[in-house]
Amino acid sequence: MGISERHLGAFAVLTVFGTAPAFAYLDPATGSIIIQAVVGAVAGGLLYAKLFMNKVRNLFSRKGSDAASENTEN
Amino acid sequence: MISPDPGSFRDPSGRVFIEDDRVLRAIYEMGRDNFEAVQQAGVLDALIAKGLLVEAEEADAAAAAELEPRPAHLLAHPKIPFISYPYEWTFSQLKAAALLHLELHLEALNSGFTLCDATAYNVQFRGAEPVFIDHLSVVPYEEGEIWAGHRQFCMQFLNPLILWAKRGVVPNAWYRGSVEGIPPEDLAAVLSWKDKLSFTVLAHVVTQAKAHKHALKTETKEKIVKTGKLPKRSLVAMLEGLKSYISGLELPGGRSVWSDYAEDNSYNAEKRAEKHDFVASMAASVQPEMMFDIGCNSGDFTQTALDAGAQSVVAFDFDYGALERCYSRFAQSGASVLPLWLDAANPSPAQGWANAERASLGDRGKIDAMVALAVIHHIAIGRNVPLDMAVDWLIGLAPYGVIEFPNKDDVMVRKLLANRKDIFPDYTEEAFLHHVGKRAAIVEQKKLGADGRMIVQYRRK
Repeated sequence: MGISERHLGAFAVLTVFGTAPAFAYLDPATGSIIIQAVVGAVAGGLLYAKLFMNKVRNLFSRKGSDAASENTEN
Repeated sequence: MISPDPGSFRDPSGRVFIEDDRVLRAIYEMGRDNFEAVQQAGVLDALIAKGLLVEAEEADAAAAAELEPRPAHLLAHPKIPFISYPYEWTFSQLKAAALLHLELHLEALNSGFTLCDATAYNVQFRGAEPVFIDHLSVVPYEEGEIWAGHRQFCMQFLNPLILWAKRGVVPNAWYRGSVEGIPPEDLAAVLSWKDKLSFTVLAHVVTQAKAHKHALKTETKEKIVKTGKLPKRSLVAMLEGLKSYISGLELPGGRSVWSDYAEDNSYNAEKRAEKHDFVASMAASVQPEMMFDIGCNSGDFTQTALDAGAQSVVAFDFDYGALERCYSRFAQSGASVLPLWLDAANPSPAQGWANAERASLGDRGKIDAMVALAVIHHIAIGRNVPLDMAVDWLIGLAPYGVIEFPNKDDVMVRKLLANRKDIFPDYTEEAFLHHVGKRAAIVEQKKLGADGRMIVQYRRK
């Protein structure tokens, strides 16, 4: 599961789009800087997918529980 | 008297000072704008109200006048009962601290602020409750800025937790030696391919390790790495992702040697009851504000001391299983008990910059009393520490206390001697009482049962 230099090149290209100042006394370290834009974007995608799946699941479970509550009323 | 805290020099925008029963935080010109922006937005108050951040109020001008250079602002905080370090915490404590950090960061981002660092030393425990202690870490957020504390968060929270949960390796000895935490490059080298099958590990450990190594190889001094824009939603997603991953981390199964000790040790109920009474009597007469319980196990005698009048207890043990039980017990009850890992033969040293940044175990404030039950044989026989030196160390911890002494007929001592030559002719009750008597007045001594262990209450001379 190695990550080749080419992939790292892709990270570097993706991260040169713009600059934003790091607001800190702390040196954020190059390795962390160059992966953050990509890791952040993927994390964003994953979070979106998770929220979407939760919505879908809720939609179904709400139907299920509505049916159950109707039953108890009878 | 006001003295600077030797661990608070890294961020030049402020400095922490200790004054008797409160902590003062000086904010210098360099930190003024950030602090005033944070203060005006009411973020600190909101974080304090949520219990995430330690309380703060503007300190009196008289205190500020004593400081050189004169600060732009001076805050006063209540003292944390006992300062502890991440290399002394259990898995659950490190996990709770990591989750608190992420929660605080997300809350700050919600109001347009962020954290400028991610050091685990900024989290302290009041009992079982973690709390963030560095008000100057909260700074205005600028859209697109990267997460400056990312690598630090990984090294000080995420990586030790992964090592613990995925490999079953306690990271504390490593963490203590490498006070900045565990680098992704090192962790990546010890994880199996199965451990790496998760986005969090791939992204924050494996990829970061590769990128870091690559950068070290190719970087020249003149080259400035352009920081990519990290949109706020991406930062939030990263923090949420870490929160959800860390929440799901659990210790690999397996009972420890000691965690069941309280239930099935060689002690019968009557002797235990006598021992509880003995501890209660000491705690009731001393009324310690801060007590050490050395070898706390799951905290039965800690509870007895609390019931009898001890206000706060730091409960130490060598066994992580016992400490986990102790932590969960007092987290549930809400008592002011801080469980910490301790190897009595090698307590936490003073270390970091100038050997002063992180205090040694013995240098973290006044301890009013201590209880050392079923401990001394592990030091004197288990670790070959001469009995007088073991007594010396224990009595040195606090001016009042209780020490239990199991003699060589005791089944636990026999176990320690089972596979080795008995080179301890001086390990006797008489010698023990003599050593205690030289250093302290014996307030009370008792045999637990006719053939049982000796227990003494002392008052240091």
